[in-house]
Amino acid sequence: MVLKGRVWKFGDDIDTDQIYPGKYLPLTDKEEIARHAMEGVPEAEEFMRNVKDRDIMVAGKNFGCGSSREHAPVSIKGRGIVLIIAESFARIFYRNCINTALFILECEDAKKIKQGDEIEVDIETGEIKNLTTKERYKAQPISGLEMEIMKSGGLIEYLKKREEK
Amino acid sequence: MGKTIIEKILSKASKKDVSASTDRMAGDRVWADLDLVAMRDFGGPNAILEYKNSFDERPVFDGNKVAITFDLHIPARNEKVAQNQKICRDFSAKMKTRLFDVNTGIGQHILFENGLVRPWDVIIGTDSHMNLLGAFGSFASGVGTTDITAALTYGKLWFKVPETIKIVIDGNLNESVYPKDIILHILKNIRTDGAIYKAVEFTGEAVEKMSLAGRITLTSMVTELSGKVGFIEPDDKILRFVHERTNTDIKGINADSDARYEKVFHYDISDLKPQIACPHSPDNVKDVKEVEGRPIDQSFIGSCTNGRYEDLKIAAEILRGKKSKVRLIIVPATMEVAKEALKNGLYDIFLDAGGVITNPGCALCTTGHPGILAPSEVMVSTSNRNFIGKLGKGAEVYLASPATAAASAIEGRITNPREV
Ligand code: SF4
Repeated sequence: MVLKGRVWKFGDDIDTDQIYPGKYLPLTDKEEIARHAMEGVPEAEEFMRNVKDRDIMVAGKNFGCGSSREHAPVSIKGRGIVLIIAESFARIFYRNCINTALFILECEDAKKIKQGDEIEVDIETGEIKNLTTKERYKAQPISGLEMEIMKSGGLIEYLKKREEK
Repeated sequence: MGKTIIEKILSKASKKDVSASTDRMAGDRVWADLDLVAMRDFGGPNAILEYKNSFDERPVFDGNKVAITFDLHIPARNEKVAQNQKICRDFSAKMKTRLFDVNTGIGQHILFENGLVRPWDVIIGTDSHMNLLGAFGSFASGVGTTDITAALTYGKLWFKVPETIKIVIDGNLNESVYPKDIILHILKNIRTDGAIYKAVEFTGEAVEKMSLAGRITLTSMVTELSGKVGFIEPDDKILRFVHERTNTDIKGINADSDARYEKVFHYDISDLKPQIACPHSPDNVKDVKEVEGRPIDQSFIGSCTNGRYEDLKIAAEILRGKKSKVRLIIVPATMEVAKEALKNGLYDIFLDAGGVITNPGCALCTTGHPGILAPSEVMVSTSNRNFIGKLGKGAEVYLASPATAAASAIEGRITNPREV
């Protein structure tokens, strides 16, 4: 599966409070949740105004650290982001992305990708082409099981499908 | 090839998975059968609502293996919390799960006190510090809402078998130095990203000598190292404890001598001095000596890291016959701990010292509890996290042992416990 999109770039240690501020935790409606994605980062206004469907997020180390809240990946996905590439992810955030079917990849070269770059990503092999700079990077491919869960639309859908078989 | 503790547990737990070969090693993905799914008053209500959306009235996989604990906002402090707790109680009654209400204490502690935790078990829960149950040789992990929802129905969950880091701790602890000082020292050394996704095994003579309370202090703070779980091979005293609580035969667990470790760290703690994590990170650790004298406004003794009877006893010995110069808040981890403390006269000591003792629970580990700080106030806490804003905007939290917290309360400033 190849995903192509424009990059929104963020730094290291973006915690879940920046991704989805705690005060919105009582929200349950997915559209309402999506309205607050990345509200705690300095670039929030710009992001909210210009993010569009199929954009890709790129970040540094330890993305999604801090308290575990599934609102975080749900809000990002709700804003149309299809994939997050980061140098590394916090453990529970990583799990939450897979379980809620937001594609993620870990790539050591993530910092070479810049805000606004157009990139093309083969999520199975981890090949990343930077169409803006013509560079190529390699992300760690996701394991078979995690990929299957993400492609099924998340953990619950995956298990329901297995059950039907 | 030999196996680490986590490789053994997940190999056994995934046996039923038809596609599984029996040996599961670091890096493998497994579907593990769950021995216990725990929810609490925070996180639990969301999972229950999602469960209803996804599965409607369908019964849970096994009500005996589902436990709901109330430990955060107890008793309910506002209507929203009351509503959430009602969601939990109603669900528990309908699905015939276990329920430990507002009069019990901190979730993981309640689970092991009630015989729901054994070596080899695979347990998930909604708290980030579930992993302290590694002190019993069980694999317990904090997970998200979707994980809980799926687990409630299917009784199993996917895991990536983590690599293991071994931490060998040798030597004898000095007077006034405790397991909390050891784990803070380790945090200083390998930092908060020192064990991302990893299992940690603690061994060595200092660990062998540790009581259950001390072991829990070590394993609970594996979360702060970003680890998945912290194991200590259960010895006779731990196995006896589990046996007494569960009334079943218990099999111990240990790592094979030829198991593969990603890294091995050695510490000799014979010269270790009391340690303290300064604002705003658990790895911003210094000798207490270095920050001694810093005035404080409050001292908190409790949490899942340092809320056992033994922790309270250490504090009580120091506080006996003395007065606290600052607000002193003491919170036993569970009602069982509270009763023992009451019976043995600890409550008198704390009350005479001017302390406030609240009902068992998580208390000042997170916002929303009585005891929150005003901007620029300073607290010494025996809890596990001191992130910015976690206990009040602009407040500063120092993490230390019960001894350091008690000594600092008496002096009204950060104080080396040896000096009191
Ligand atoms: S004391 Fe804090 S870290 Fe421990 S279980 Fe309670 S909320 Fe979690």
